[in-house]
Amino acid sequence: MFNMTRLLASVLALCLVVAYGGRVWATDAIGIETALPDRLTQETAARLASEDLVAQGRALFLAKFTAAEGAGRPGATGAIVPTKAEPGSLPRFFRTAGADSNACRGCHNDPVAGGAGEFAANAFVAEGFSDADFDSVDPQFSNERGTPALNGSGLVELLAREMTRDLRAQRLVAAREARATGRQVSVTLTSKGVSFGDLVLYPDSYMDVTRLEGVDQDLLVRPFSQKGVFTSLRQFTVNALNSHHGMQAVERFGARYTDTPDFDKDGVEDEIGIGDVTALVAFQALLPFPVSVAPEAPDHAVAVARGRDLFAEVGCASCHVPALPLESHVFTEPGPYNPAGNLRQAEVTTPVSLEIDISGLQRDEKGRVLVPVFSDFKRHVIADAEHPHFANELLAQRFVNRDEFLTARLWGVGSTAPYGHRGDLTTLRETILSHGGDAAQSRAAFEALDEIDRRRIIAFLQTLRIAGQEVRR
Amino acid sequence: MRALLIAIVLLKASMVQAYEAPRYVAEQSGIDHVYDGGWEFFVGGGVATFDCNADGLEDVYLAGGTNPGALYRNISHVGGALRFAKVDAAPLTLENATGAYPLDIDGDGVLDLVVLRVGENKLFRGLGGCRFEAANEAWSYLGGKDWTTAFTARWEKGANWPTLFFGNYVDREAPGTPFGTCATNRLWRPRTGGGFAEFLALEPSYCTLSALFSDWNRDGVPDLRLTNDRQYYRGGQEQLWKMSAGGKPSLYDRRDGWRKLTIWGMGIASHDVTGDGYPDYLLTSMGDNKLRVLIKGTEAPVYGDEAGKRGMTAHRPYSGGDIQPSTAWHPEFKDINNDGEMDLFIAKGNVEAMDGFASKDPNNLLMGKADGSFVEVGEEAGIVTYSKARGASLADFNLDGLPDLLVVNRQQPVEVWRNVGLGTASRPVPMGNWLQLKLLQDGGNRHAIGAWIEVRVGARTLSREVTVGGGHASGRHGWLHFGVGTAERARVRVRWPDGEWGPWVRVYTNQFARLTRGAAQAQPWLPPN
Repeated sequence: MFNMTRLLASVLALCLVVAYGGRVWATDAIGIETALPDRLTQETAARLASEDLVAQGRALFLAKFTAAEGAGRPGATGAIVPTKAEPGSLPRFFRTAGADSNACRGCHNDPVAGGAGEFAANAFVAEGFSDADFDSVDPQFSNERGTPALNGSGLVELLAREMTRDLRAQRLVAAREARATGRQVSVTLTSKGVSFGDLVLYPDSYMDVTRLEGVDQDLLVRPFSQKGVFTSLRQFTVNALNSHHGMQAVERFGARYTDTPDFDKDGVEDEIGIGDVTALVAFQALLPFPVSVAPEAPDHAVAVARGRDLFAEVGCASCHVPALPLESHVFTEPGPYNPAGNLRQAEVTTPVSLEIDISGLQRDEKGRVLVPVFSDFKRHVIADAEHPHFANELLAQRFVNRDEFLTARLWGVGSTAPYGHRGDLTTLRETILSHGGDAAQSRAAFEALDEIDRRRIIAFLQTLRIAGQEVRR
Repeated sequence: MRALLIAIVLLKASMVQAYEAPRYVAEQSGIDHVYDGGWEFFVGGGVATFDCNADGLEDVYLAGGTNPGALYRNISHVGGALRFAKVDAAPLTLENATGAYPLDIDGDGVLDLVVLRVGENKLFRGLGGCRFEAANEAWSYLGGKDWTTAFTARWEKGANWPTLFFGNYVDREAPGTPFGTCATNRLWRPRTGGGFAEFLALEPSYCTLSALFSDWNRDGVPDLRLTNDRQYYRGGQEQLWKMSAGGKPSLYDRRDGWRKLTIWGMGIASHDVTGDGYPDYLLTSMGDNKLRVLIKGTEAPVYGDEAGKRGMTAHRPYSGGDIQPSTAWHPEFKDINNDGEMDLFIAKGNVEAMDGFASKDPNNLLMGKADGSFVEVGEEAGIVTYSKARGASLADFNLDGLPDLLVVNRQQPVEVWRNVGLGTASRPVPMGNWLQLKLLQDGGNRHAIGAWIEVRVGARTLSREVTVGGGHASGRHGWLHFGVGTAERARVRVRWPDGEWGPWVRVYTNQFARLTRGAAQAQPWLPPN
C-alpha cells in the first residue's frame, strides 16, 4: 500500500508538472540563486554521450554551490561517516573544520580546473567525528594538506582496480591450496611488477596479514588521498562534497543510512543525486593525463634523458615506478570495490562506460597500455629521525601512521608546485632531500651525485607536465 | 497552481522514505523438517545454529518434537542460494526434543550441543566433521525427566567448564497439574577436573520458557534472567537470580528494587537499545511484548518498559486482518540491513487454537531507526506467512554479510529465507557495510562467553554481550554480526570475560575476522568459496 501511494503521488505530480510545467518553471527560474546545472539520475547519466556527461561534471566541478541548494552543513560534521554536529556551533564556512570552499575548482585550479592548488588552497583533514578531540576548530586536530592534481585520475583508478583484482585472486588461490593441502601457504602478492609483501593463509582460512607491505589488510589498493585511503573517485568525491562544501550526496547521507533526506539540517533535502556524482566522477576520470614534454633545446633534451636514467639509478624509480601496465582503459562507473555509502555496481542496471583517451601512450609486449604514473601505488614510510619532515602531521589518518604516505604520482609534477603533502616545499630539490625512511638510501644517493646530475634529475622531473603546459626553461 | 503545489508536496513526500527494508526470498533449501507433537510440544520448537564442521558456514540442528531431531549441513555458496544437506548424525536424531543450544562445554575447541527435551535432556560432545557422541555419562550430567524449555550457560570465575542452567516448564505429574505446578529449575555447576557436580534446585520456579545469563549492570558477574509463563504459575513473576561465585543464587526482590512483572514470558533477546551502555531485554509474550530498560542506574535492577515508546510492542498482527492479540515466541536482535541500527525479529503464532488470540499471526520484522524507534517492515521484506512460528535463527548462512532467516514452525515445515538486500534472488543488492567477528582465548571458555565487544565506527560505539541462551528454545554460536552503515573501517576492542580490556584493534569492514586475546591485530578470515 505504501509503495502504491508513493507511486500514485509521483504520477500525479508528474502529470501536473507536465501540464503546468512551462509557465511555472520559467517563473521559478527568475532570481533563483543556485549554481547546480540540471540534475541527473544515474539512468540519465548512463544515456548521455561521454562528452555531455563530462560537460555536466565540469559544470558541477566549477559550480559555486549556494545555500539555496544545500551548501554548508550546520547539522553535520565533515566526517566520511554521517556524523551529527551541534547546529550553530560553527559558522557555515570555516578553514579548519570546514566547509571550506565554494567550488571544487576553488582549490583544484592550477594550472587548469581539476589540477592542483598552491599553499593558499591547502585543506585541513580531520576525522570530523564528534569526539571532544575532533569536534573542534583547533588546527592541532587536523592535518594540513596540499591540493593534489586530479589529471589522469581515471587511469589511476583503473590501475588500482586491476591491482586489487590481482592481489585478491592470488589470495584466493593460496586459500584454496591451504584448504586442499591442510598446510599453511605463504604467498608473495604482486601486481604489475609491484610486490605488496607476504600473506599467509592457514587451512582454516584465517590469514596472517602482518607481513603485508603498503596495502591494507583487505587487499584493496586505495589510490586516492595522499595517504592512499580512498578507493575510488566516487568515494573521494562524495567525501569532498560534504567535507569541503557541505553538499551531501544522497548515496551516503540520504535516508537509507540516516533516516532523513536532510541530514545536515540546512533545510535542503537530497542535495546531490547519484547521477550528479557520476557526472563529477566522469569529469575527473577523463581529465587528460599528464605527459612528458620533451624540451626543444638539444642540450636540455640530453640533460633530461640523463636525468631520467639517474632517477632510476639512484633508486627513485623503485617506488616512483615510471609506468604501470593497464589492461583496459574503459572506465566503468560505479567501480567494483566501492563500500556502502558510495554507489556500487550491484545497485545499478545502467553503469556508465567511458573510454579514456590514451593517445600517445605506449604499450608493452602484452598489449597493455603503459601508464606513466611514476608510482607503485603503495604506502611507504618516508620519514625518519634524521629526516622527519614528512612525519609532521599530528593525526594518523584512517589507520595509516603519520610517517607513511602513498607514493606520490610524479606525472604532472612539473606543473604542480608546491610539493609535499602539506604543500610547504617550494622546490623539487627540497622535496627530494626531505625523504627519509624507506627512501633514505635513494635520497643519500641523490645527495652523493654531482650537482649537475642532481639538476639533471630535477630537469627531468620538470618535463612531467599537466597536458598543455610548457616546459620551464 | 494550488493543484501543482499539492502535487509537488505529494511528490516530495513520496520521495522521502525513512527506511529501506531488505527483501527476503523463500528458499527451497533442502531442509524438510516439521516440529510436531501434542500439548507438551505447544511450546518449544527450537533450532541450534552453529558451525559443526569448521568451514565457517553455520549449520543447523532442528528439534522435532515427536519427530526426530535433524542436523543439516550448510552447503550454500557465498552470496548464493541457501542450501542444506541432511547429515546422518545418529545420536542427534532423538525424539521429544524441544530445543537446542550449541556451546563448547569441554573447551576442546569443537562445539558441543545441548538438546532440551520432554524427558531426559542430552549433552552431545562434538567430534568435528558434524559428528557427535552422547556425553551425559562422561560428563556426569543427569538429564532428568522434566519438560525442559529453557537453557543458558556461563563460565563462572576461574572455571574451565561452564555452569549450565536448565529451565523447566510444567510438572506433569504433580497434583493439580498443569496449573500452579511448575517444575523445578536446575543449575549445574562444573566439578574440579571436568564434568558436572550435583545440580542445584532454583526455587521458586515459575514455568520458565527462556533464560539468559547476562551482565545487566556490567559488574563483571552475569546474573540469571528468566522469563516465565503466567499461564501456569501461581503467584509467580519474572525473575532475576543474583549469582555469586560458587554460592547459591538468590532472587532479586522488591527490597532490591526489582519490580514484579507477570507476563506470558516466551523468549528473551538482549541488546543495548537505549544506548546507555547496559543491556536491555526484549521479552516476548502474548499481546504486548516488553522492552525492559534500567531506569535508576546500575545499583539496583529497577526496570521500566520502553516497548510502547519505541514501537516494539508488536501486540497484534499487522497483516492478514486478524485484530486479536498476537502470541510471540523467539525474539532476536540483528541489524538486517547493515545500517548500523539494530533491528528485531519476533516469531509469532497461536499456541494451538487459543481463543482470543490471533490465529493468523505473521512474524515481525521491526526495523530500528536512527531516533531509537522501530517500524514494522514484515510486508515490505516479504516474510509474511501465517504458520505457527516458534524458534528461529537470524544468521548469515551464505556469508554475504546480510543476515538470513530460518523459522521453525509448529506442525508446518521450517521456513528458510534468504536476505537479498535491495535486490532479487537472481540479483542480490548489498545494503550497508558490515563486520563479523569471532573471539578466541585460552582456557575452557575458548569463545569468551561473557565478553563484551565494542565496535567503534565514526563517533558511535556498537556494543554486544557474548551470551549463550535466550531466544525461544533456540541458540546460536557463530559470527557476531555488526552492521556498520557507511563505515569502511572500524576499531574493535574486547572486554574479556574476566574483565580485562583488550587493545583497540583496527579492522576493515565487509570482512570476517577473529580477535584472539593478546593479539594486537585481528585475523581476517576468507570464506570458502
